[in-house]
Amino acid sequence: MKRASIIFALLLFALAACSGNDGSSEQNESGDNNTLSVWAWNINVPVIEKAAEMFAEDHPGFELNIVETGTPDVYQKITTGLQANGEGLPDVMLVEDDRLQGYLNSFPEAFVNLSEKGFADDHMDKFPEYKTELLSKDGDMYGFPFDSGPAGVFYRVDLFEEAGIDANAIETWDDFIEAGKVLRDELDVALTGIDINNDDGVYRLMLNQQGTFYFDEEGNVDLTSEESVKAMNVIQQLSEEGLNENLVGWDAWIGGLANGTVATAPSGAWLSGSLTGQAPDMEGQWGVFPLPAMEEGGNRAANLGGSNYMISSNSEKVDLAYEFMEFFSTSDEVQLYAMENGLFPSLNTIYTEDVFSEEVAYFNDQPIWTMFADLIEDVPYANYTGDYSLARDEATKAQSRAADGNDPAEALEEAAKQLENRLNK
Amino acid sequence: MMNTNKSKRGLGKVGMYALLLLFLVISIFPFYWMLVGSTNTSDKMFTSPPTLLPGSEFMTNLNNLDATVGIWRVLFNSLLVSGVYVVIALAVSATSAYAFAKYDFKGKNVIFTIFILSMMIPYQATLIPLFQMMSSYNLLNTYFALIAPQLCYPFAIFLMRQNFAAFPTELMESARLDGASELKIFMKIVLPSMKPALAATSIFLFMFQWNNFMWPLVAITSQDMYTFPVALSTLNGVSFTDYGQVMVGITIATIPIMIFFLVLQRHFISGMLGSAIK
Repeated sequence: MKRASIIFALLLFALAACSGNDGSSEQNESGDNNTLSVWAWNINVPVIEKAAEMFAEDHPGFELNIVETGTPDVYQKITTGLQANGEGLPDVMLVEDDRLQGYLNSFPEAFVNLSEKGFADDHMDKFPEYKTELLSKDGDMYGFPFDSGPAGVFYRVDLFEEAGIDANAIETWDDFIEAGKVLRDELDVALTGIDINNDDGVYRLMLNQQGTFYFDEEGNVDLTSEESVKAMNVIQQLSEEGLNENLVGWDAWIGGLANGTVATAPSGAWLSGSLTGQAPDMEGQWGVFPLPAMEEGGNRAANLGGSNYMISSNSEKVDLAYEFMEFFSTSDEVQLYAMENGLFPSLNTIYTEDVFSEEVAYFNDQPIWTMFADLIEDVPYANYTGDYSLARDEATKAQSRAADGNDPAEALEEAAKQLENRLNK
Repeated sequence: MMNTNKSKRGLGKVGMYALLLLFLVISIFPFYWMLVGSTNTSDKMFTSPPTLLPGSEFMTNLNNLDATVGIWRVLFNSLLVSGVYVVIALAVSATSAYAFAKYDFKGKNVIFTIFILSMMIPYQATLIPLFQMMSSYNLLNTYFALIAPQLCYPFAIFLMRQNFAAFPTELMESARLDGASELKIFMKIVLPSMKPALAATSIFLFMFQWNNFMWPLVAITSQDMYTFPVALSTLNGVSFTDYGQVMVGITIATIPIMIFFLVLQRHFISGMLGSAIK
């Protein structure tokens, strides 16, 4: 009996101890009026911290409470908060391009309309058009453009040289495939490391460069367009000719790039940060050339990835948040600092700075930033819509069917049908 | 004849050991790779041929990890949340399972069936209502919010009930005749023979809470409340991940589970001799 009561007392104490520990709750709402809460992930954190320091010079006492989150897990947090009417969300949050339209469509009231605050009128022309369109719904802007992923083909300079391929002569995807055959025959190295069953990034790049996407401008499923079939044809050839090494998942892909399994990676500018970070010893072995065009003379600009900051309507400090984020996204100094941290800024007023024309030692002394900056203005708008993730799922299935030898047009038709069923259109 | 038989048996033994060795390597290798990863810089994970020897960067990785997520605070949070959770949840499941197994009351089977059926509800379905509930009580981002929701864990109750059901009711009855109170019977006679079951259940509960991810992810809104799974997930970036930090984090997260298991393992054995009708 005695022992029992001691145990129960202990239990009660334990319960009391853990409920008494809520001193740190209400982190979001409370705090002084000069502190903003922010959710952002790794390489973005030092950038926004630096911006806060600079902002505090003119706004004494200004502070950020940054919660470092991981991707894609942060979207589970954001989605939960949005479904609970904005409860628990921070004042400011970082959202990637491909998620943003989905949130805007499902929770139009949850984010602060920046056009009403004057952002569009004051700063619209400082950002590439594809980006400002992406951040808009019904003509109003809801996000602060931050980084972009202007695409290029990262390639192994040393392997290309060894195989006798001239990277600058690769102008179309057909040229690219021919180069792949040479790499295959001469060096037994794969051209690309596309994760056929899980990632349709390269296919998506080809859609984007041709000015199409999963959806047309009205939001109708557009997987069966002529451009889409052409793009899927390229993927099929890469796979059927044995030019693609099916690297499953991000880690395997980065591994493949770092250990020489694959010789190229068509990807966003941010891959430069991944390469210099994960394979620092390969300095001088990598270079970049613009995305090949579908036809000779065709558009070579496309975008993959990128992110934006949004303000929660639930924030009690909307004005402060707006003021700070306006400073963040339009300050040359902040965006140049972002550059240093491996993020490619969308702010075009800095593209004339010296950093952009610098030769980058890691990339074989190539001034890669000018190349990306020159491309970014030509990136066509992609209509992600709110159904992006479903469309991506079906497109990826079509990609694996095409890679298995099915007719790309048929695979895409099937995908379009499935997608329409899932969307009930 | 004898000799060939012997050598045959010897050969079989060698083959057997080779097979066992193979399985040993397969099961140990992930841990070894974790060790290699945590003592090398991130880029060493991607070299060809792969780096297979431990390096000397453990402290660097540890310091980086501490700077990113505050790993000792994370360890404290995880230990506190899981520890308190196991104690209370074990008490809840042991007492309720005991009632289900040894007492007769109205609606017993219906209630128990409801409990079991609630195991079928996917966690995701309760996530948002739970979040809203905690939010409206201003309990988000507290230890209470991390511990309370799953204190009543149907599977643990089910597990304990099966064990209590096997306990001979005759022993309880004779204690009753001797004038022991119900609480005394439970504490002094039934529970001591349940050590193996308690140990198994608490390992199960500990693992559940230690690895719990989705709920803490949404319920925590400040970094100083992060538990291991949430803290480790924050190391994932869009274009860059420092695998050295990840591996150190995993190493530190694995050690308490090992200790917990090793400590309780003793009870599995000692408990086996405990129950018998003489």
